[in-house]
Amino acid sequence: MEKVLDKKSFPQWVKKLSSYTVYAPVQEDEVWNYEVITNPEQVNLDFPNTVLSPKKIIFPQREVYLEFSASNEDGLEVKEVLPEEEPSVIFGVRPCDARALTLTDKVFGGDFEDIYYWKRRNQVALVGLACHTPPSPNCFCLSVDGSPFSKEGLDVLMSDLGSKYFVEAFSKKGEQLINPAKTLFKPPTEKDKKELDKNRTEAKKRISRQIQNIKKIPPKLKGMFDSSLWDEESMSCLRCGICTYLCPTCHCFDINDEIFSSSPLSGKRIRTWDNCQFPDFTMHSSGHNPRQGKASRLRQRIMHKFQYFVERYKNYQCTGCGRCISRCPVGIDIIEVLDKVSSYEG
Amino acid sequence: MVNLEDLKKEAKTVLEEGKVKYIIGYEKSANGLMPVPGFIKSPEEVEKLIWTPACVYNLTKFLVDEKRRKSREKKPDERPVGLVVKGCDSRALVVLLQEKFINRDDVFIIGVSCEETGVIDEKKLIKKLKGKKAEKIEFDEKDNFIVTTQEGKVKIAASEVLAERCLECKANSPVIYDVLLGEKAKRSVDNPFQSLEKIESLPERERWKFWKEQLSKCIRCYACRSVCPMCYCDECVADTINFAVTADTTAEEKAQKIKWLEKSPVKSENFVYHLVRAIHLAGRCIDCGECERVCPLDIPIRFLNKKLEKDAKELFDYEAGFDPEQPSLVSSFKDEDPEDFIR
Amino acid sequence: MKDNTYIPKLAKIIQIKEEVGGARPIKTFRTQFIQDNNFSFKCGQCAMLSVFGKGESMISISSTPLIKDYLQFSILKMGRVTSSLHEMQEGDIIGIRGPYGNGFPMEKWKGKNLIFIGGGIGLAPIWSVLHTALEKKEEYGDSMLIYGARTSKDIVFKQELAELRKKMKVHLSVDVEEPGWEEFIGFVPLNVLEIKPSPKNSVAVTCGPPIMIKFVIQNLKALGFEDEQIYTTVENKMKCGIGKCGRCNIGLHYVCKDGPVYSWAELKNLPQEY
Repeated sequence: MEKVLDKKSFPQWVKKLSSYTVYAPVQEDEVWNYEVITNPEQVNLDFPNTVLSPKKIIFPQREVYLEFSASNEDGLEVKEVLPEEEPSVIFGVRPCDARALTLTDKVFGGDFEDIYYWKRRNQVALVGLACHTPPSPNCFCLSVDGSPFSKEGLDVLMSDLGSKYFVEAFSKKGEQLINPAKTLFKPPTEKDKKELDKNRTEAKKRISRQIQNIKKIPPKLKGMFDSSLWDEESMSCLRCGICTYLCPTCHCFDINDEIFSSSPLSGKRIRTWDNCQFPDFTMHSSGHNPRQGKASRLRQRIMHKFQYFVERYKNYQCTGCGRCISRCPVGIDIIEVLDKVSSYEG
Repeated sequence: MVNLEDLKKEAKTVLEEGKVKYIIGYEKSANGLMPVPGFIKSPEEVEKLIWTPACVYNLTKFLVDEKRRKSREKKPDERPVGLVVKGCDSRALVVLLQEKFINRDDVFIIGVSCEETGVIDEKKLIKKLKGKKAEKIEFDEKDNFIVTTQEGKVKIAASEVLAERCLECKANSPVIYDVLLGEKAKRSVDNPFQSLEKIESLPERERWKFWKEQLSKCIRCYACRSVCPMCYCDECVADTINFAVTADTTAEEKAQKIKWLEKSPVKSENFVYHLVRAIHLAGRCIDCGECERVCPLDIPIRFLNKKLEKDAKELFDYEAGFDPEQPSLVSSFKDEDPEDFIR
Repeated sequence: MKDNTYIPKLAKIIQIKEEVGGARPIKTFRTQFIQDNNFSFKCGQCAMLSVFGKGESMISISSTPLIKDYLQFSILKMGRVTSSLHEMQEGDIIGIRGPYGNGFPMEKWKGKNLIFIGGGIGLAPIWSVLHTALEKKEEYGDSMLIYGARTSKDIVFKQELAELRKKMKVHLSVDVEEPGWEEFIGFVPLNVLEIKPSPKNSVAVTCGPPIMIKFVIQNLKALGFEDEQIYTTVENKMKCGIGKCGRCNIGLHYVCKDGPVYSWAELKNLPQEY
C-alpha cells in the first residue's frame, strides 16, 4: 500500500490510533528516546537518532519472569508473570533499528521461543522513518546490508517529501494502522514517486562512513582469535557497557532473584540486560574467568557480531546505526577496528 | 594554547632516552574532531600526538590498567609510564599518589597547561554547530574557538562551548609534573561552585523530584564508574561478583557476600549506585567531569560530586588533589572540624 | 505459543546424601516433581535448579534416564545457589527446568567399549551414562571406570563404587599418598597411562577439572585414541540454558545448548574460551 500524508495531518492520524499505546521519540534535555505519547501533537519526527533503540520496548532492560512467596501448603508458591496484552505502535523507527529487531527475532525464536519477547513483539507495529539525511555522522548501514530506507522489519515506512510524507505499508499490521485514518491519506502522484526516488538516491550518497571489504571480514576473523590486534585495540577500553547496552542488536541478559522479604520469603525472578564487556559476565563461581582481560571481551563483541552470528544466522549482527561509535567514552570505533581486521597481517 | 611541537619534542626526548616505557597521550582519531587516548611506544609514533581543545580525556585512569597489567607480569619493565596531564588531570594524579595507589616513580608527568582556555564540551559544540560536522578546533588566544567545518570556519566564544568544569576550574595548569609545557596563566573564575547555585536554590521537594527523574534514566552501563580515575577498587558493591574471588575463596564467603544493590535499573537501585559512587568520591573528586561527559543519558552526575566538593571546602576547608603529602579528608581529623552532624 | 521455558517446575528433595565433607563438600540430592513427573532427558544433559530467592544453577543430572521416579544431582558447594542447596533438608522445595544441552551420543557408541575417566565431582555426568550403559549391557562392549580424587575422602559415590566393582572394572586413584590406600597414587591422567585402555573399538568419556581433562586427552592420544573417540564435557557460566543470554559461548557454540558434550575432534577446533 502506497499513500501520501500531509504533514499537518500527521497528528490526526496519531489521534485515530487511540486503541494503541503510542511510542515516539521524545527529547529530554539533549537526549532523544522512545517514550509513551499521550498527546499526538507531541510526536516530533525531526530527531537525530534516539540514544536507545526501540529494542528497549520489545526487550526491556528489566523483565519480571515470576513471583515467588512462601505459602502454607507446599511451602512455596511460584507465579508466572507475563507482559500485558496491549497493541502498541512505535513511530519514528529508523530502518537500521527495525532491521535490528529482525536479528533479535532470530535469537529469541528458534528451538526455544522466548515468550516474553514474542508477547511484546507480536503486538507492536513499527512505523519507520526513512533517513533522508543520516541521523548520526557515524551511520554506516550500507556496509552491513542495510539502507536508509530499508523496509525490513517495518510495518510502515514514512519518507519525508517536504510538506508531506510518502507512506508505505508492508504488512497487515501496517494496513490496520492506516485504515482507521483512511481519509487522511491520498494516493501518491507520479511526481511524489519521482521525488521519493530522487531522495533515496541522494540519501545513500549522504552516508559517508563505510566498512572496507566487509565480505572478507567473517572468514578473516576466523583465524584471528589469538591475534595481538585485540590487545592493541582494547588498550583504551574502559570496560563500561555503553557499546552493547546502546546496540540495537545486542541481546545478552542476566537472570536474578530479587527478594523483598527473606522471612517469610517473597520476591521476583527478573531478567535484566547484561553485557559482555563487564568482567563478571563470564566469571565462573570458582573465580575462574574464561574472558579475563578486556582484549578478550572486545574480541567477543567483534567476533559475535561479524563471525559467530554470521555463521549461525547468515547476517551480520550489526545494522550500522553508529551508536557504539558515537557514544564510546574513548572513541573506540568499530569501523576502524574492522578495517584493521581487514588489513591485518600476521 | 601550548604548541603541539613542544609536546612532541618532549615526548620524543624521553622516549629516545628510554626514560619511559611508553607515553599515554592524546592521539588523532580517523574520525573527526575528538581525539582518542594514544599509547605511544616509540619516538617515531610521537607524530601521532595531538594537543587541541578537544583533548578532554583524563588519562590518569589508564594508570589503573597499567598497575594491574604490571602486577601480572613476571618480569615487569620498571621504567615509569609517561603521562600527559592537564591541570585537572594532575590533581587526580595527586589523589592517587596521596592514597598510595601509585608511586611517584611509576609515572613521568608531562604537564600541559590549558593556559587561559580549557577543553570543549562536545555536546555543547554539536548543538552549537546544528548538524555541521566539526573537523578542527583551535583557540584564537582571544577567548574564542575557531571551528573548521565542511562548510567553512565558525567563530564561537569560548564560554559557550567550554566544558562546565573548565568554567569552574581551580587549576588550569598542572600542580605536579616532571616537565611543564605552557604558562601558569589561567582563566578567571568568580565562583567555582557557580553551577550548583540553581539546584541548591530549589526547595528540598523539588530537588528530590529532580534527582528522582534524573537517576531513573540511568541504564547502569557504569561508564561513570569506569571512566573515573578514583574508581580503582578490585571489588565494587555494584558488581554481582566479587573479583577478589580466588580458587581458595570458600563457598560460604561467596554465598554470604551481601548484595547491596540489584541489577534492575529501577529508582531504588539506581539511587544506591549513584549515592555510593558519589560518597566514595567525597574529598577525592577533583572535578575532571569525565563521569558526566560519558553518560549516554546526560544525567548531571557532576552536580553530586560538586556538592560534596563544596561541602569539603566549606566544612573542612579541604580541597582534593593539590598536595600529595596532605592526609586525605576522610583519614584526617582536626580539632576544629565541625561536629554538629553528630546527634 | 509454546511453554514458558523460564518457569521451573517445583520439585521436592526426597533424599540428601553427604558424599564428601570438609572445605569442598559434595552432596547428592534426589528430587521428585510435585505435579507431574514428566521430565524426559538424555544422559549428559543438565537441569537448571532454582533455590527461590537465591537464583539458579546449571547442574548435570547424575541419575540414569531409565529411572523415572526421581532425578539425582551431585553438587559441589561452590557459590550462592549451591551453598543454599547444601543447607536444605529433605522435604524442601526447589525448582527445576530443563533438560538442557545435547547429551552424550550413546546411539553412536553402540557396540563399543566404553572407558569412563573421571576426576572429583566430574563423576556426576559420567554416573548417568555409565549406569545407562550398564543397564543396557548387551548394547555395548566392555566398560571400565578410571576415577580419582584429591584424597580418599574426596571420592564420591563410595558405596556405589564398591557395588560397581562387581559389574565392571573400576580403577581408583588419589592424588597424594595416604595411609591405607592400596590403589594407584597420582593424578588421574597418570593412572590412564598405567592402565593403558585399548583404543580398539573404544570410546573414552572424560569429565573433571579442565587441567585433568587436558592431560587425560593428551595421554589418551598417546595411547592411540583418535580425536573422534574422545568425549568430554565443558562448563561455562550459564543463565538461560537455551542459547539466548549469551554468556556461555565458546566461539560460535553455546555450551548450554550446543554442548556440554563435545568430542575432542569438535572441541579442539573451538577457541580456548572455557
